[in-house]
Amino acid sequence: MRRQQAGSVMRHGRLRRAGAALLGLGVVAVSALVGGGAPAGAASNPILKIASDTELTTFNPFTSYYDGELNIIAVIYPSLTVGDSHNVPQPYLAKSWSHSPDNKTWTFPLRTGLKWTDGKPITAQDVTWTYNLVMHNDAAASANGSLVTNFASVTAPNASTVVIKTKTPQGNIPYVSLPVVPQHVWASRVKNIAKELNTEMPVVGYGPWRLTAFKTDQFATMKPNKDFMNTGMFKGAPKYSELISYYFKSSDASVAALRTGALDQLTGMTPTEFKALAKVGGIKTYRTAPVGWTAVEVNPGARTKGGQKFGTANPALADQRLRAAIAYSFNRPLLVSRILDGLGDPGASYIPTSYPEWAWKPSAGQAITYNPTKANQILDQAGYRKGSNGVRIDPKTNKPLNLRLGIHSDDDQDAQISQYLVQWLKAIGIHVTIQSLSFDALNKNLVKGDWDMLMDGWSTGADPTYLLSIQTCGALPPSKTQSGSTDAFYCNKSYDKLFAAQLSTSDLKARAANIRAMQSILYTANIDIILYYKDQISGLRTNSTSGYLTGSPDSNGVYPLQNHFVNWSQAAPVDAKSSNHTATYIGVIVAVVVVVALVAAILLRRRSTAAERE
Amino acid sequence: MTTVDPVTVEAAGDAVSAASGDVAERSDFGSYLLSKVAAAIVSFFVTLVIGFTIFSIMPSDPVAALTRGRPTSPRQLAALRRQLGVDKPVWVRFVDFLHRTFTLDLGYSYQYHATVTSLIASRIGPTLLLTGSSTLISIVLGIWLGVRSGWRHGSRLDRLSSGVSLTLWSVPTFWLGLILLVAFSVGFGPIPSLFPAGGMTSAGVGGGVIGQVLDVSRHLVLPCLTLVLVVFAQYVTIMRSSIIDELGNPYLLTARAKGLRDDDVRRKHAVPNALLPTVTVIFLQIGGLVGGAITVETVYSWPGLGYLTFNALRIPDLQLLEGTFIIFSASIIVMNLFADILYRFLDPRVRAQ
Amino acid sequence: MTAVTAPVRVAAPPRTEALRRFVRAYVRMPTGIAGLVVLVAFVALALGAPLFISQDDLNVIKATGASLAPPTAHYPLGTDQAGRSVLLLVIWGTRASLAIGVIATALTMVVGSAIGLVAGHYGGIISRALMHVTDWFIALPGLPLAISLAAVLGQGPTSITIAIAATSWTGTARLVRAQTLAVEARPFVERARALGAGNLQIVSRHVLPNVMPLILVSSTLTVAGAILSETTLTFLGLGDPTNVSWGSMLNQAFNQGAVTGGAWWYLLPPGVAIVIVVLGFTLTGRAVEAILNPRMR
Repeated sequence: MRRQQAGSVMRHGRLRRAGAALLGLGVVAVSALVGGGAPAGAASNPILKIASDTELTTFNPFTSYYDGELNIIAVIYPSLTVGDSHNVPQPYLAKSWSHSPDNKTWTFPLRTGLKWTDGKPITAQDVTWTYNLVMHNDAAASANGSLVTNFASVTAPNASTVVIKTKTPQGNIPYVSLPVVPQHVWASRVKNIAKELNTEMPVVGYGPWRLTAFKTDQFATMKPNKDFMNTGMFKGAPKYSELISYYFKSSDASVAALRTGALDQLTGMTPTEFKALAKVGGIKTYRTAPVGWTAVEVNPGARTKGGQKFGTANPALADQRLRAAIAYSFNRPLLVSRILDGLGDPGASYIPTSYPEWAWKPSAGQAITYNPTKANQILDQAGYRKGSNGVRIDPKTNKPLNLRLGIHSDDDQDAQISQYLVQWLKAIGIHVTIQSLSFDALNKNLVKGDWDMLMDGWSTGADPTYLLSIQTCGALPPSKTQSGSTDAFYCNKSYDKLFAAQLSTSDLKARAANIRAMQSILYTANIDIILYYKDQISGLRTNSTSGYLTGSPDSNGVYPLQNHFVNWSQAAPVDAKSSNHTATYIGVIVAVVVVVALVAAILLRRRSTAAERE
Repeated sequence: MTTVDPVTVEAAGDAVSAASGDVAERSDFGSYLLSKVAAAIVSFFVTLVIGFTIFSIMPSDPVAALTRGRPTSPRQLAALRRQLGVDKPVWVRFVDFLHRTFTLDLGYSYQYHATVTSLIASRIGPTLLLTGSSTLISIVLGIWLGVRSGWRHGSRLDRLSSGVSLTLWSVPTFWLGLILLVAFSVGFGPIPSLFPAGGMTSAGVGGGVIGQVLDVSRHLVLPCLTLVLVVFAQYVTIMRSSIIDELGNPYLLTARAKGLRDDDVRRKHAVPNALLPTVTVIFLQIGGLVGGAITVETVYSWPGLGYLTFNALRIPDLQLLEGTFIIFSASIIVMNLFADILYRFLDPRVRAQ
Repeated sequence: MTAVTAPVRVAAPPRTEALRRFVRAYVRMPTGIAGLVVLVAFVALALGAPLFISQDDLNVIKATGASLAPPTAHYPLGTDQAGRSVLLLVIWGTRASLAIGVIATALTMVVGSAIGLVAGHYGGIISRALMHVTDWFIALPGLPLAISLAAVLGQGPTSITIAIAATSWTGTARLVRAQTLAVEARPFVERARALGAGNLQIVSRHVLPNVMPLILVSSTLTVAGAILSETTLTFLGLGDPTNVSWGSMLNQAFNQGAVTGGAWWYLLPPGVAIVIVVLGFTLTGRAVEAILNPRMR
């Protein structure tokens, strides 16, 4: 309690102001940061809190392609059809559908009386306007353009009917469903559609939920749409007061949030985290069938549509026997147990196992399993003899088999897998150099054909057309400098024939048969050696949420593929006492103590500097 | 690299004292300020040149990042390349780059669908909150401990604090963060989960402004603690050596001879003089701290500039990296300028002239 | 930097005598001895590792342990995701971390000394220009600059080494310039110049030998910083992910969820190793510095 000396008052006053200003800055910063911030809510108003799979930046259905955004777009914008809990298309805006015998004309009579969230009616004109925009505007086509490449016209003969005509017969039209936007809102946005983020709240749309609040990278808040239809698979407005999709920047943080009840559902974490979460009470951890695979792509030689060869792939990889030997050297079950901790399946079929309608399995004679002896035999017979250092020599070029393996530097699993691959290939006399490349650099090499093997992954929705298309000759690049959508420069005439056939039929069984035959061809070609399918792993707070999951688990405890549209529409709150928040309170108390101590320290400091500076 | 090499710290300190010595002869504060601001501008320009050079080494194609994992037609690709100016000669791009930087247009991040400027603007707040609060605590703690150990150097407290400081200097910041995360967020052994594992806010927090301030504070504790532990040690070292430097000065002897108590000699004479170089060096470091928080923000997924940089690194989103690089450099230059001015302000010898 | 006259004395004629005095002073410093012991131990561990760690111990397809298992008698520090012994990985990681630290430091020293020597010896415009460049580099943000460089050059130990050197040469340059000026002001250099010695001769025969001790001292401290930088950059994902180093182990542990899984045996050892080695270099460097420059004590 020293008194200040008169002489120090001036300077001291300045210091104090500076201190106060700093403190004020902190407070302003805090309040500014949270001001626009977290949405309020109390226990009596149940809120469904879901972790977003990806960052949230845009809800423009024409440009968005991240899962977290697409899940939201699917519940705030309608479409002609929507997948049910088995991912089979059901009528949505359409009442039903029919097609001409040649599968080139598809007619969708629409439901009447539906209204956008701003009260204006939803008409066939909204549908045709949306489809035509995607068909004719490059920028608007960036998310869904590939779905409509075979469309000749989309028209509305009257206010409640939409007709889609295709250039060649196309049987999967009910699967091809674009989000439909209100023309009266979007017409003025066409000019700048590439940069339109559609984040002006509330968003005008139609669906079980209405998007009402949003903060970039943090959360999107939805409220139930009281006017949502109550018919068939649709059950009217959801039973929550709000649905918040929350983006977590690290999986540690999201797992912790689920554990403390700050989240109700979370998909995506590491197997280690999954196991740790399984021990927490009130939480159900579950696996759902995988929608994608992880593979090693092998480059059989880059070429253009015209057949011109380019790139620096090792020419030996054009030899199918070498590729088969590589496939035999991989111990896929070991990868599943080590890298996925058993939460997945060893790879085989090109289309992931979660879609039983297209599922295919190699026959006993065709199946390629871990067999280094056989791999060595194949290579011995094909004339790849071992050199002095144990590396085999390509008989055609007389050069040792040195292969590059490109991995994504931002993908931890790539790095893990590659260490196994190197050792397995070493065991059959192939020397591998790992190239850890940024996504950017890897893609560039891919296009230029400057690669031997790459780690790759694809996932697909219920309709596998696009995934199948990237293996057709038509996907090869038009010239050396341009890129095609091809995956590994594969081109096979009989595969292409089957591709065209499955696309044109509307008979599900005939289509499935063709698709199975295509998968058999790809399996034998070994240009995409599929290592494993990774289960989607999730956690759900069953003490606060019910009715979220659909279907029942198989013998391994794996649930069928879930559909966010259904999950988010049908989930209902559980009326339960809130969980134990002691730890949270302790945290709050510690935080308060720290803040108080900080302020006190500053104040004390100020006082003592006053004394020191006389 | 929040941990600064002791050699650099000294060198930086010398830089300031040398610079200040130079201009001490000029008594006019205005011209002093002018020369410092001019130097800062030149320095910033050089930073821009270096930044541009680095990001031009690799003939990067941001278009590939844009088309990540989805079908794009060759026509779309060509249009994008034109739009981004990838095909122009270097000098045109440099002039363009300067123009854009000075009009605060730092480019566009396709990863985030947003301009780099808007991304940076939205992340500056959290970074300032984190580095600001941790710097305040570190300064208070560092100076307090530094004065006490310097005044009685060789004492048990001094040896203890030197040992602790040295050890903390040797700890990688990110690892300290990970360990604190396991101990106090996940909970370990008897310790329950006390603090959130990351981010700055919780989902669906109510309670009005107070509730939200508390929520942010709760998230702030661990990242702030990590930075404090690593940074305050350096301030202890600096303050300690400043005090030791003052010890031999005759004015202290005079003060003692006047019969002042040891405490008073320390507080009224030694500390104010030793504070001067310390404060200056601290300011020199604060600028670097903003960039140095990258690892802490990454470990705690704190939504600031550092975490933005880390995310840009993964693609790599070069325009975004370039943008954050410029901001980090600017913060250092501004803080250096501030240190120069502050030095002039605080140093009684300079002011007396 | 004004008080670094000691090295000159060290370098004055009877060098063996000076060395003996130095050693005598060093053994009287317990922290210096501790640092040196740590360094010797880790260097021995790094060099001797291949004697007791076979490639099979590091081979993921031959690992026999369970994934991320806590310590047992057979695995004193538990296992990693692939089922390998964390203890052996930490020991093996010493090699990569020390190697990059030392190589980056060597590069730093070469670049920094060259610039410092030239600036100090020639003076005038060259000196001022070089010192301006140094000042500009000091003002650059270290970690962001290193990250940007490594991102642009591509992942891997080479770009990390370059990034570290590019961000840490400035301190050495300033130090060497100051010392060069001090040495060149001494009579024996004047004498040599008067006898007609050329620039190269003066620098290589007279200046460099006298500046060398200082360079070496500052290099021990630089190694400490370089190892910290290396682990930081590797942790951020800029290293070679398939290489075993302390930074990459922590990177993998973080990415694989060891934090939430509470796998402390995977997180603690690499970090503790880093702290000990960095501390070892720092203590050694400080002890030497304290002897050469008594003012620092």
